[in-house]
Amino acid sequence: MSKSWKILAIGILACVLVLALTPYVWILLTSFKGRLDILSTQPTWFFMPTFANYPAVFIDKEYLPLVFNSLVISLGSTVLSILIGAPAAYVFARTDFAGKEDLFFFFLTTRMAPPIAIAVPLFLFFTTIGLTDTIYAVVIAHTSFNLSLVVWMMRGFFAEIPKEIDEAAMMDGRSKLGAFVRVIVPLAAPGLAATAVLCFIMSWNEFLYAFILVAFEGRPLTVGIPGLITPHGTLWGQVAAVAVVATLPIIVFTFLVQRHLVRGLTFGAVKG
Amino acid sequence: MAVSFKEVTKRFADGTVALDRLDLGFDLGEFIVLLGPSGSGKTTACRLLAGLEQPSSGRIEIEGRDVTNVPPRFRGIGMVFQNYALYSHKTVFENIAYPLRIRKVAAAEIERSVKDMAELLRIAHYLQRKPAQLSGGQAQRVAVARALVWQPAICLMDEPLSNLDALLRLHMRTELNRLHRKLDKTFVFVTHDQEEAMTLATRMAVLKEGRLVQFDEPKTIYRRPANRFVAEFMGRPAMNTIDGVVKGGIFKAGAVACAVDRPDGPVTLGIRPEQIEFMASNAPAAMTLTVDVKEAIEPDTLLIFQNAGGQAITLRTQTNCDAIEPGQPVSVSFPKQALHYFDAATGKRVE
Repeated sequence: MSKSWKILAIGILACVLVLALTPYVWILLTSFKGRLDILSTQPTWFFMPTFANYPAVFIDKEYLPLVFNSLVISLGSTVLSILIGAPAAYVFARTDFAGKEDLFFFFLTTRMAPPIAIAVPLFLFFTTIGLTDTIYAVVIAHTSFNLSLVVWMMRGFFAEIPKEIDEAAMMDGRSKLGAFVRVIVPLAAPGLAATAVLCFIMSWNEFLYAFILVAFEGRPLTVGIPGLITPHGTLWGQVAAVAVVATLPIIVFTFLVQRHLVRGLTFGAVKG
Repeated sequence: MAVSFKEVTKRFADGTVALDRLDLGFDLGEFIVLLGPSGSGKTTACRLLAGLEQPSSGRIEIEGRDVTNVPPRFRGIGMVFQNYALYSHKTVFENIAYPLRIRKVAAAEIERSVKDMAELLRIAHYLQRKPAQLSGGQAQRVAVARALVWQPAICLMDEPLSNLDALLRLHMRTELNRLHRKLDKTFVFVTHDQEEAMTLATRMAVLKEGRLVQFDEPKTIYRRPANRFVAEFMGRPAMNTIDGVVKGGIFKAGAVACAVDRPDGPVTLGIRPEQIEFMASNAPAAMTLTVDVKEAIEPDTLLIFQNAGGQAITLRTQTNCDAIEPGQPVSVSFPKQALHYFDAATGKRVE
């Protein structure tokens, strides 16, 4: 690449970076601003920082348990999706059966309907079995959309492992299940981790289902934010404080697995 | 019989018949080679014995026990795969130790067995490496060590040498021969390479389109091929087979004419390229063929003649052929004792 191209590339990247990061920096700054600075018509970069927003929302308004709820919901639905989805993906990667590709595509179609279309039936369903307003309802709802993601992504990772590895493990003395659990899963660990992180992020960021299924007990952070819109005005400083806390785990996780994440996502795209 | 296939048929879901009523039996301690072109069912036979595939019908027995529906881990069989199938997340040591770990062998015993096996296969220096850091030949040795470390009665090898370069292949072949003599185990080896088959086998099974064509010692298969297919498959280059007619004790096909011990009628004549002899042109048995192509594969020379009817006849000799040029006529003869006869219709050997 010539030097001028390189400069151009860096310039474009810089623009994208500014566009992508400005909102986040703004939220970060807002969370440390007092009421006057926030509502000022002249946005300022330099101001007297205040740390009042964080304790105001997490201690006084008791939002701290919401962090815990978010964690339980995200971890729960991730674990559930992986436990059910990974063996299914393995079967898709290894076995041939009638209607396999159709069934595989069907898993994807479950994500095509707009979530709002099934939100109400889902609410009625959970009311009938008495799970509304509990964390379990949200965990199950999130699993419903994460499952297809797991099957879709993990099939590619499993297919990458030669089937002779399973067979070698079976010749070495493992059962079919033993070969999967003890040999294939460890070999697919990077892919599994990437998939899990993606599931976690999806569930962590999800708002609609959680909003409809839980009113107070068990609501996650995303559902907590609208509670800060009061008749007397929106508490922007506290909204920003919650938003900053809510984005932290996502940022950390994404940095940890970004390499595998990109690979996993392109897999699905190519193999489909 | 230690291992026997009884009327074993394997039909795949798409309808292809990979094995057609295979009957095959051999003793423990033998080095059995399954030989055939691709699609002959040799790998399927190997996988059926391993338990990685289920036969559509028929029975497989190991030492009198019906193992047809027994899962691989209870069959007492080790296996080496063509692509080695090493566990890339484990060290060489752990790869070899794995079958022992599964069987919950004591740590000290594992240490000793792995070291012994590594010593035997000359990979003791690489035990702490990961498979990705090994060359093809080293990876192959690790795979063999893993298959044998737990002392199975039978070791299967599915084209284990075909991913190695030519020199390494020769070397590994010798190693396997040494290993077999030393360990006294039953080896079942799948290959499409007749030279590998010839050098390794105590007995070899030649398969074609899912059927067993001939099962015998290598030298018998070479010297007395059971039919035209085996004749044309074995040998380098393969045996010449010439379709012609016998009349009054003389076989005729184009420019070929020679004395035979056959009654009148059509027959397929077979003769190995190295058994065709040069003759003086005025000798009574001589026939004159025109050289089409000359290939020098020192120290030997191949002369390929074009007979009438488009059949090529190959001669292999160590005689100096520098003076012979393509297009030139050459006088040769087919010695009677070197001739093979095959039924013109069925291709079966006739004596």
